[in-house]
Amino acid sequence: MFGPGIGGAMQQTTNYRVVLPFYLYASIFFLIGAGLLLLHTDVTETHYFNPYTLAITHTMALGWGTMIIFGASHQLLPVMIEGKLSSDTLAYLTFGFAAIGIPILIYGFYIFHTGWVLQIGAILVNLAIIFYLINVFRSSFRSKTRNIHSWFVLTATLWLFTTTFYGLLLVFNFSESILPKDSVSYLSIHAHIGIIGWFLLMVMGVGSRLIPMFLISKYTNDKNLWMIFGLVNGGLISFLLFRILGLTTSSYYLSVMLILVGVILFGLHCKKAYDVRIRKSVDEQMKTSLLSVLQMLLPILALVIILAFLPSGKHQNIALLYGFCIFFGWITAIILGMTFKTLPFIVWNKVYHKKAYKGKTPAPKELFSEKIYHAMLIAYLFGFLVFIVGVIILNNYLLKAGAVGLVIASVLYVANTFKTFLHQPKKL
Amino acid sequence: MSIHLVTNDSEKCEKALEGLYEVYDPEIGLNVVDLGLIYQLEFLEEEKELNAAMTLTTQFCPMGDSIQSNVTQSLTHAFPEWRINVELTFDPPWDYTKISPEGREFLGQ
Repeated sequence: MFGPGIGGAMQQTTNYRVVLPFYLYASIFFLIGAGLLLLHTDVTETHYFNPYTLAITHTMALGWGTMIIFGASHQLLPVMIEGKLSSDTLAYLTFGFAAIGIPILIYGFYIFHTGWVLQIGAILVNLAIIFYLINVFRSSFRSKTRNIHSWFVLTATLWLFTTTFYGLLLVFNFSESILPKDSVSYLSIHAHIGIIGWFLLMVMGVGSRLIPMFLISKYTNDKNLWMIFGLVNGGLISFLLFRILGLTTSSYYLSVMLILVGVILFGLHCKKAYDVRIRKSVDEQMKTSLLSVLQMLLPILALVIILAFLPSGKHQNIALLYGFCIFFGWITAIILGMTFKTLPFIVWNKVYHKKAYKGKTPAPKELFSEKIYHAMLIAYLFGFLVFIVGVIILNNYLLKAGAVGLVIASVLYVANTFKTFLHQPKKL
Repeated sequence: MSIHLVTNDSEKCEKALEGLYEVYDPEIGLNVVDLGLIYQLEFLEEEKELNAAMTLTTQFCPMGDSIQSNVTQSLTHAFPEWRINVELTFDPPWDYTKISPEGREFLGQ
């Protein structure tokens, strides 16, 4: 009647010891990123290639976004690839090298020490990513199946390695000319491989698996996901080719269009999954994650404006707005939602793993404070929107007010993360 | 809910299910019976062996270890003298049609 079982042995999900350090580390870097933004709101009036902008961007991209994706992906990789995580040791090495390398790199940018400080930071970060790459690929190739979600993850990881290695070359190019032009000329390539190749593909791959899973949705459409996969990769590759061939900025509209269509199709995919969900009540964390899907459109809008103004070199602040909408907007929003959708389960599993049959244990959502979460969201949305207005009209009061909102949001996020992490078992 | 029961002893089944109704999928907040995760309960009287077949909503679900472990412990608690085997299967895979009417009501359907 039933197919062969996989035995009485447990499924062996990823050890919580592997995952939790990434979450805690990333939460501190959200606070640092928001704090640096508050200290240096004047960067909005300067060219994006300046020490503070580089420090803030790498704090948010590596310390915050990448570290939390590392944590979540080590936990969720088995669900994505339908196989076990290959090695806990590689995951610890990833954490160790990244945890040391990221602050050195950020400090190097902050004081703009283009020599050994930046170089050591970049080498350590690259090593961390190589360990992660090996772990992801080994895990995937040991799995019997390879679905569309695992292709998103594999490709995103390859792009991550590409951009960090490219970043390493740019760092060395500061002190010795190893590339034909100066490093500033290559920044947009480095940034977009990271934003589109790493973050966007990873979020789409994981989101397309988790959103229907959490909603208990009937909707699946692999054909649509393959199309999205092709459009986003096609958009990124075409952009890289146009840059290498030195074509005019107007040709970039084609790349933007491909990615925009991919994002819209992904948004529609999520909406369809939402519409036919079995589980009618949707919690705040899922709503935040779904909001972040809409937020994907803001940076694209900013990018179109940049392309319109770029030839004249006017309105540098819009370039900053673009980066802000990505790192403090879309990426931060999805993390705020997904942290409290995944972290409580990891801690719950640690604390109540073998106790649930003894009676009703607290639900994972009871491990964090919903009040703090709600206050964090209000502070975040206030900070995000006010800062955007501040960038557009270049008003320092609004910029400071927005940044304060984001700092408050980050403090509340850290508090709730640690509250969850420090949860003690209740007597059953 | 469609559990394949391999026994004529309804009392034993009720006893097993009573415990299993207390094992929850922590994410959904619904018990494993109404969620349709329990596929089979087979009572081998002579061997004093209880073989259960169950599934998970998603293969390699991060909560899978915990749910399977709690199903085993619940059955062990109900039948301390019996040998309990809980087999995990994904054939057929779980889908929403396996949720009981009570489960659907709980989910707001």
